[in-house]
Amino acid sequence: MSYLLTTLTKKKEIDTIIRDTIDKVLVLRFGRAMDALCLQLDDILAKSSRDVSKFADVALVDIDSEDVQVYVKYFDITLIPSTVFFFNAHHMKMDSGTADHTKWVGAFHRKQDFIDVVEAIYRGAMKGKLIVNCPLPPERIPKYQLLYKDV
Amino acid sequence: MKKKNKKQKSEFDFCKVCNRNHDEGQRHKYFPSHTNSLSKFFSRFQNKLTEVRFFLKNPSFLRLELASRNRLWCVFCDCDIDELGSSFACQNAINHLASGDHLKNLKHFLWKYGGGMDRVDAFRISQADIAKWETKCKSLKSEAAPCGGTSQGLQSGLSNDIHKEPDYENLNNYEKNTLHHLNSNISNVVMPLQQHTNEYQVSRLEHSGVANVGSNMHVITSTLSVDPCDGTSLWNANNLMEAGGNVHSGAPPPWFEETQGDQLNVQLNQVSTLNKSGKLKLNPKRVGAAWAEKRKMEMEMEKRGGIVKSDCDPNWLPNFGRVWQSGSRKESRKEFEFEKQKQTNVHSLSEMPMEIKPYVSKRMRKIRVFKMRIRSELVD
Repeated sequence: MSYLLTTLTKKKEIDTIIRDTIDKVLVLRFGRAMDALCLQLDDILAKSSRDVSKFADVALVDIDSEDVQVYVKYFDITLIPSTVFFFNAHHMKMDSGTADHTKWVGAFHRKQDFIDVVEAIYRGAMKGKLIVNCPLPPERIPKYQLLYKDV
Repeated sequence: MKKKNKKQKSEFDFCKVCNRNHDEGQRHKYFPSHTNSLSKFFSRFQNKLTEVRFFLKNPSFLRLELASRNRLWCVFCDCDIDELGSSFACQNAINHLASGDHLKNLKHFLWKYGGGMDRVDAFRISQADIAKWETKCKSLKSEAAPCGGTSQGLQSGLSNDIHKEPDYENLNNYEKNTLHHLNSNISNVVMPLQQHTNEYQVSRLEHSGVANVGSNMHVITSTLSVDPCDGTSLWNANNLMEAGGNVHSGAPPPWFEETQGDQLNVQLNQVSTLNKSGKLKLNPKRVGAAWAEKRKMEMEMEKRGGIVKSDCDPNWLPNFGRVWQSGSRKESRKEFEFEKQKQTNVHSLSEMPMEIKPYVSKRMRKIRVFKMRIRSELVD
């Protein structure tokens, strides 16, 4: 599925896309193209990227690439797939009732869920908010456990 | 006394700024609607003055064909300043703005309509500036005198128009590009007219010229880029058409030119307002608004081929709030950089080449030390 979207493998490419996406939400998916859950997520992203193209850009990042390890560490990516949102080079957080507000971990259940999330982020960002509430009901938010750092 | 007051009140006075008659007397200038329109009024005139100030800083020759177009309405003195018979662009305007009469009128205006006496300097030209300008003009004249041939090209470039500050670097290229197209245009217009045609043909041909210019304008509006280069190329078109000659050689009449120019101006203004309204739609308080504006400017510059100081060093990191991070997001980055440094230190420590020594037992060490002591005593 990953070939339908731009895949970034260099830190410079990620820098450029973050810097040059202006007044649009940037959706960065960190993961492996061959992972089962990633495949599901990529499918949803690829199908809905056109629908959200007016207010969002979607790009994939291959976490196995050597050059992007800086970002993998910086964004604390421990579980894949992880999806990070940006707006005007500012990180957008989402409070979805899970441990990690900084990124979306796991896949979306359906296309509309992803569109809703991106829309909520776009609307929040346009109002000057750096953190938004998740518009999805809790049963459609993937659950996971985070370990506290250095434990 | 009361009667007099009433009489004063009922006397109508015309406010130039609000463009209406009122019987509010001197109080009128403190009314919010008046102050609003006054600020607009001033900004409009200020815009006109920026053009004049541009020529004050960069004096240039005025072409005779453009003299009729290059004029200024002084809102304070209520007079039209034309440039007929002046050899430099905006010469009369500059002289007028520096004159004592203008200062007097300006002060009277500010007293009558408000606006603060501290703005006097914004709407006039100081003596020091005009002295500088005069010296520049003199040097220009002396330069132009020996090489009259080359100054012609310079003139056509510089006196392009004051509506748009021309981009001199690109100007030559654009002139080259547009010349072919326009030459054909002119030849089309001029050729049949040399055979004493009737007026019908004249008007028809002019229309064809207009249509061409119109198509150019369409190009501009459709791309929605108010590129100064595009503007200059169009202005060149007008200049060339004008340079085509007078009534006898079949050039379009000056009033026709002016309307074209006005149309173009209107179009350009529309485009700019469209752009502005597009910007206004976005919330100025949205996330990263300042960043977006800055980056947009940079990207625009990059598109034009300008070299932007690339602050995108390889260690650039976006703003990010980490999972376990409390406090501002800058701290996230600081923490990350600290971690990175620590890691590199650990790496360098672990990579330090360790000297491999054979194991020496404690007893052996003691014996060695003992031997050393004995040796030193023997030496003594």
